[in-house]
Amino acid sequence: MDVRTRNDVRESGVPGGRPIVFAHGYGCDQNMWRFVTPDFEVDHRVVTFDHVGFGNSDLSAYDPVKYDSLRGYAGDVVEILRALDLRDVVFVGHSVSAMIGVLAYRRAPELFGALVMVGPSARYVDEGDYTGGFTRAQVRDLLDSLDANHLGWSTAIAPVIMGNPDRPELAEELTNSFCRTDPDVARQFARVSFLSDNRADLAAVTVPTLVLQCSQDVIAPESAGRFVHDHVPGSVFVQLAATGHCPNLSAPEETTAAIRAFL
Amino acid sequence: MATADRRSGSDVRAQLDQLLEDDPADLYENAPCGYLSTLPDGTIVKVNRTFCAWTGRTAEQLLRTRLRDVLSVGGQVFHDTHLAPLLRMQGAVREVALDVVRVDGSLLPCLVNAVELRDADGAPVMVRATLFEATARRRYEREILSARRAAEESEARSRTVQQVVSELAEATTVDDVAAVVVRRGRRAVRAAGAALWRVRGHMLADHRAQPEPEPAPMLVLAHAEGFSAELLHELADDRRGQWALELAEGVRVVRLDDGLRARRPGLAAQLEVAGLHGVAVVPVSADSRRLGALVLGLDGQDDGSDLITLEEPGADLPAADLALLATLGRQAGQALERAQLHEQTTRQAQRSAFLLDAARLMAGATGSRETVERFVDMAVPRLADMCLVDLITEHGARRVAARHGDPDRQHLVEDLLEWAPPVRDLPYPARRALAEGRTLWFRTVDDEWLRSVVRDDRELTAVRRLELAGIVSVPLMAEGRALGVVTLNADRRRGPFTAADVEVIEQLAAQVSLVMAKAQRYELEVRTSHTLQATLLPPPPPDVPGISVAVRYLAATRGVEIGGDFYDVAPLAGGQVAIAVGDVVGHDITAAATMGQLRSVYRALLVESPAPSAVIDRLQASWPLLGLQRMATALFATIDLPSGRLRIASAGHPPPLLLAGGRAEYLPVRPSRMLGAPPSGAREWTGVLAPGATLVLFTDGLVESRSSDVDVGLARLRASALRSATADPDQLCDRLLADLAGTHRADDIALLALTRAG
Repeated sequence: MDVRTRNDVRESGVPGGRPIVFAHGYGCDQNMWRFVTPDFEVDHRVVTFDHVGFGNSDLSAYDPVKYDSLRGYAGDVVEILRALDLRDVVFVGHSVSAMIGVLAYRRAPELFGALVMVGPSARYVDEGDYTGGFTRAQVRDLLDSLDANHLGWSTAIAPVIMGNPDRPELAEELTNSFCRTDPDVARQFARVSFLSDNRADLAAVTVPTLVLQCSQDVIAPESAGRFVHDHVPGSVFVQLAATGHCPNLSAPEETTAAIRAFL
Repeated sequence: MATADRRSGSDVRAQLDQLLEDDPADLYENAPCGYLSTLPDGTIVKVNRTFCAWTGRTAEQLLRTRLRDVLSVGGQVFHDTHLAPLLRMQGAVREVALDVVRVDGSLLPCLVNAVELRDADGAPVMVRATLFEATARRRYEREILSARRAAEESEARSRTVQQVVSELAEATTVDDVAAVVVRRGRRAVRAAGAALWRVRGHMLADHRAQPEPEPAPMLVLAHAEGFSAELLHELADDRRGQWALELAEGVRVVRLDDGLRARRPGLAAQLEVAGLHGVAVVPVSADSRRLGALVLGLDGQDDGSDLITLEEPGADLPAADLALLATLGRQAGQALERAQLHEQTTRQAQRSAFLLDAARLMAGATGSRETVERFVDMAVPRLADMCLVDLITEHGARRVAARHGDPDRQHLVEDLLEWAPPVRDLPYPARRALAEGRTLWFRTVDDEWLRSVVRDDRELTAVRRLELAGIVSVPLMAEGRALGVVTLNADRRRGPFTAADVEVIEQLAAQVSLVMAKAQRYELEVRTSHTLQATLLPPPPPDVPGISVAVRYLAATRGVEIGGDFYDVAPLAGGQVAIAVGDVVGHDITAAATMGQLRSVYRALLVESPAPSAVIDRLQASWPLLGLQRMATALFATIDLPSGRLRIASAGHPPPLLLAGGRAEYLPVRPSRMLGAPPSGAREWTGVLAPGATLVLFTDGLVESRSSDVDVGLARLRASALRSATADPDQLCDRLLADLAGTHRADDIALLALTRAG
């Protein structure tokens, strides 16, 4: 299967420029980066994509066994980088994709030049001295609330949309289209994301790494970001004024500036 | 009301107009839904009274907090990961379900619609949101959801069963089946680990060689995953997992509780270490035959499954899961039985091939010694580590083979010779197997048992060194007779014998018995004929003054080394000598026996009347009384030593040859009928044996051959006798035999030469 189709890989910017790959996190799809990518298209080869099961990815490629771990997603990232023959990649991962980036890096370190983690957390659940921000009960509550929101997902219509990526108007007709996800996929991704524990993987990262920490982020609190910073050797920690979990949407200028300053 | 309507219709219209022109502020504040306005970062800047009333908060409390701050944790996450991004990306969201936390902590399920107001550049300015109470709808949705989950779980269960069925259909070996059962069983209930114990050898339950001691069904670990070696050990326990089999009447859950801690502290400790709160035991059976037990480790720990199913840790399995496991156990049982049958058939075929090879090999053995050797070669090390063979001989039991499969340990079995026949009586297993005439199978060998069966401490030490794990003693029986006993031992490196092993050993022993019986019978015949021959053949002729006599006896080169030919030289009173040569038909033991009897009767007759014709007549007359089984030819003669007078009579026998004066003549003795034929009256030839003359008596073996007839043979004999021209009967005999006997004789030859002193 062509990974470009599978992950709806989109390229823009300067073909010969340094590759910068944006990976969306838990929630919506690659549209999350729409306010950030234009700035980098001036001097970078910009790549965005959807994780399998999200956006316009090929839903038929969704394998509940493969994607029962973040490693499944990390494997896809490596395949995309190889398919596009990218080297010295700046990998920008939002939310759980920051850890997917770490796992992809561990699998093929030679492809990566830098990691940018936007709102990262290596472990969402509190455990002993570690504060991830959630108790187990809260994670359960979260997973439960997911079931209440299918966000316009209709199994009758989804295949039509998924099968016609060239006719985005079909998708646009639906509300909440950017976060439209098969409920089963969304539930499993949420479970995999919020139960993952990648703390032990951090020390292996030896490329320059930027940790972008939002203010008042209930999903990735400062303690989680600090932990990542403390455990990725030589990483840079930048505290953003932006609030919430999606500075790429709520404060794209600040986010862009921070990444540029780091690069 | 109708009357009132008619009466004051204009009032009603006025009232309606007033309502429709209602104060927009009142409409906002008291609308049947919550209204909120927030800054782009979510800070509430305007809120209506309805929302305040719903949440139990005042407007002052809500202003300057953020919308997500009044949401449940799940709602907060959803707000930040979905609602806020969507507003930025598409400017509006519809029907997002969020739970608002009331001031008393209770939840108010809401559906939220929101729009983002943007400035001319598209930058967000404000968010307007309406919230509808959705308690009933959310309850309804939850019911649908839980029904859907139940349906999904049910579907997942039937999918599991389908997968199990199709995977089991492809599994041909017991190992394959076990792997499928363990993997699928573990997944079906998200068990931390799984192990399948299999009852071994039940297919041979009716095998006649019941092992001693009588075994409990032997359980062997067929497959396991996810369990530590220590936990497996505890699960197996010292009775090889019997408890699991006993428990598995149905699907049972054994919980890690105080009861288990008291009953099985070791198991409880290992469950504790593994973080399990119990195990489920699933019977694996086909029809009502119990083939094994599947043990699943249940954890209530951090595998996330409880987060999905919302089950409390430690809860027993849902009834649907128990039913699923029971189904799985039955499917597994059938597949297991099929695989066992398949393997059994394959093994049977291999065993048959092995036994066929063995039969061929042993049939080629030429004696009991070689049979034993070939048996030992086949038994060790293929079937056993040690092989001891004790045979019953006429002198009692003898250990004829003691072999260890490991040459470095050969001395260990040789050390045992000190406690084996003929030094000592047979050791216990062999002795009892022989005495009871049946296979004895000692499935386990422990030290206590060893001590009870050895005869002294040194033997105990010697036997201990063998590190025995199993013993099979099989008597070698043929034609209702015990030929001996073979004892095969397995040491601890090999492990105990299986029922199948014992069956092969028994069949091999049966083959050995047959071949051995045949070989022994043959050897006995050979030995007997030698003995008989030694007894029956006449002694060397006595020295008789006045004559010199030489005799030769050559047995046929094929078949038994004995025949019915005989010669006899008997000095009589009055200077007479009686001589005889005879030939009983056939050259086997019966012929030899008949010849022996004939000679005895002849000697008895000589006492009464030595006249040759009288001897023949009386033999003929008494033949039926004597009960002699074969007919015979014979030539009887007497010589009067002083005069050299000869009297000769023949009963169907070739004539004697007379060598005298450089001439060789067959004497014209007219033969009467053969001995055993109806009497015909014998006639004597009389003549004189001149000094220096030689009389040659012989049986037809000397002159008959398959290639030529008797006349040719007689002519050759005569020519040979003429050529030899010797007065020494010994030399004459040697020459005649050299010329006429050849190396391949179909018949016996008796030859007698008598020379009268010159």
